Amino acid sequence: MSSAEHLKRHTVTEFDLPPLTVGQRFVESIKRNWQIYLLLAPMVIYFLVFAYRPMLGLVIAFKDFSLFKGIWGSPWVGLEHFHTLFDDPYFWRAVKNTVIVSGFSLIFAFPAPIILALMFNEIRHQGFKRVAQTIAYLPHFISIVIVAGIVVNFFAPSGIVNLILTKLGMAEPTYFLTKPEWFRTIFIGSNIWKEAGFESIIYLAAITGVSPSLYESAKVDGATRFQMMYLITLPCILPTILIMLIIRIGNLLEVSFEYVILLYQPATYETADVITTWIYRQGLQNSNYDVATAAGVFNAVVAFVLVITANQLSKRLSKTSLW
Amino acid sequence: MTNVTLQKVVKRYGAVEVVHGVDLEVKAGEFVVLVGPSGCGKSTILRMIAGLEEVSGGRISIGDRVVNRVAPKDRDVAMVFQNYALYPHLSVEQNIGFGLKLRGYNKDDRHKLVQDAADILGLTDYLDRRPADLSGGQRQRVAMGRAIVRDPSVFLFDEPLSNLDAKLRNKMRAEIKRLHSRLGTTSVYVTHDQVEAMTLADRIAILRDGEIEQVGTPIEIFTNPVNAFVAGFMGSPPMNLIPGHLAGTAKAPAIVLDEETSIALPALKEDSFAAQIGAQLGLRPEIIQLVAAGDTEAPLAYIDVDLVEPLGMESLVHARLCGHEIVIKAPGVVSFDTNARAGITFAPQDCHLFDGDKGARLDFEATS
Repeated sequence: MSSAEHLKRHTVTEFDLPPLTVGQRFVESIKRNWQIYLLLAPMVIYFLVFAYRPMLGLVIAFKDFSLFKGIWGSPWVGLEHFHTLFDDPYFWRAVKNTVIVSGFSLIFAFPAPIILALMFNEIRHQGFKRVAQTIAYLPHFISIVIVAGIVVNFFAPSGIVNLILTKLGMAEPTYFLTKPEWFRTIFIGSNIWKEAGFESIIYLAAITGVSPSLYESAKVDGATRFQMMYLITLPCILPTILIMLIIRIGNLLEVSFEYVILLYQPATYETADVITTWIYRQGLQNSNYDVATAAGVFNAVVAFVLVITANQLSKRLSKTSLW
Repeated sequence: MTNVTLQKVVKRYGAVEVVHGVDLEVKAGEFVVLVGPSGCGKSTILRMIAGLEEVSGGRISIGDRVVNRVAPKDRDVAMVFQNYALYPHLSVEQNIGFGLKLRGYNKDDRHKLVQDAADILGLTDYLDRRPADLSGGQRQRVAMGRAIVRDPSVFLFDEPLSNLDAKLRNKMRAEIKRLHSRLGTTSVYVTHDQVEAMTLADRIAILRDGEIEQVGTPIEIFTNPVNAFVAGFMGSPPMNLIPGHLAGTAKAPAIVLDEETSIALPALKEDSFAAQIGAQLGLRPEIIQLVAAGDTEAPLAYIDVDLVEPLGMESLVHARLCGHEIVIKAPGVVSFDTNARAGITFAPQDCHLFDGDKGARLDFEATS
């Protein structure tokens, strides 16, 4: 019997209870699952207070904001700040740098934890595996300020990197952090060192979920360990990789701003200045709150479009998506 | 076709020995079922044959070759796993052809062999589907397809039907039997389901605590269990074992179940008899008959009925005989009042007798 026929035959009888309204259903649901809603409440409140309420402040982007008149007292100026923004060559330089740093991060930093997790998974000696994992996780727990200090130290003219290079025959020490051409390499490289280990946890967890019988079956079928890695492990954790990729694409324009601030200097603005650092200088150092907010809105809209596009693509290509 | 030989095979995990010197010969083309309760070591033995577990002691040979140190891929075996072990990201065709691809078959050969296997298993319409889009039975068939497509010397089955519902299990059981008749490949099959063992096996090996208790044809095992464990394990419902002690003489023995119940038995072999030793009377549920009120035959013993399970063509009567629970399989539908007392009878030559202590079989004199 088709569902249409089934529906046709179903008629309301005197025994049917009156249908619940959406509001009644919601109240019923809260009554039945109040413990779960209670657990949910802190996060909902957190997002309302710290993420959604401040969004009201985005109207600054459309106003000639004055601290004395306040957000609502300042006059509307429409899209004027966006014109200012788009006419500013330094803003476009920051956009370009952001895209380049993010692009390289996607190419080099995104696969790093996946490769690391696959490597950890191949370690057979449990003790060595644990030690190796712990060593890889540790940099994540070092404060970004300390990491920046280490990087500045290492790449200073008298730092260990120059020391090694001069020992290897380089004539003059290089002050890497003052050279724009070195900034992206150092920034992305040190980020990989700091985060790859910790980020590998999620992939290791996904690998744990792969049924051991798949490997046993492949072993009987004649697969080598490397074949098992790319024919079984990698495809089995692909949904996790795609979810992480979507999230990463959503954050593409959110280059770690505090780390850039700690590493860059006017000499390297050419390659180091990203949207968030530009917003920081405009908003907090030059007090152009409205223009900085306009840049923030631009950033958010692009990120929103990116995450939606990535999600749709992933849904279409692999049936994996965030929503 | 190849034979598989296990000689004094031992498996240890650290200091714990789980398989204790197992000897087994699986002849070429034979279908041998390893059966036993959970934790008896049957899957471990199968995995050792496959090469997925190292052999701690003894020797495993496939054909003329000792395979203890041979990699699984070089043993020429194919294994069907309990959870099918299908690759979720590959289509049915790719799953079946996976082993061929790894062995370097070209695409055309692979396609042809997969088609042949799919034909045998009725999977041709599903070759493009992923495992997630298949039913349990279809998945099980894909797992079988992956095994048969390589035309291995030995098939190893690790409880392949245990994830299926009862109806599908019966159907797949028949399919496996048909497949074995058609291909004739040497097969070792692990299960804890004694019905599967009885219906599929050329020979059954019954295991307990890492040791083989008995190897024989299903009929041998059913009619001539070597001990009370085998007797209690095979059969559905299993054999009733009622403890008592022997009395009389070897020529005219009897088993005393309690002060009121003593049952005369056929003559026992001299070495099987010792007066007053503990013994267990083994009665298959099928051989016990209920004595109706008007019957002329005198009951051998009396039971107190607990409950009756009607199965349509027959009924299972759960009762207590001399304080011990027994099950009787009675034809048709029977009904009793709760706690009703009823008489039972059975042919003494159909019953079994086991040592009360170790459970070893006590043999009756052969009747001419």
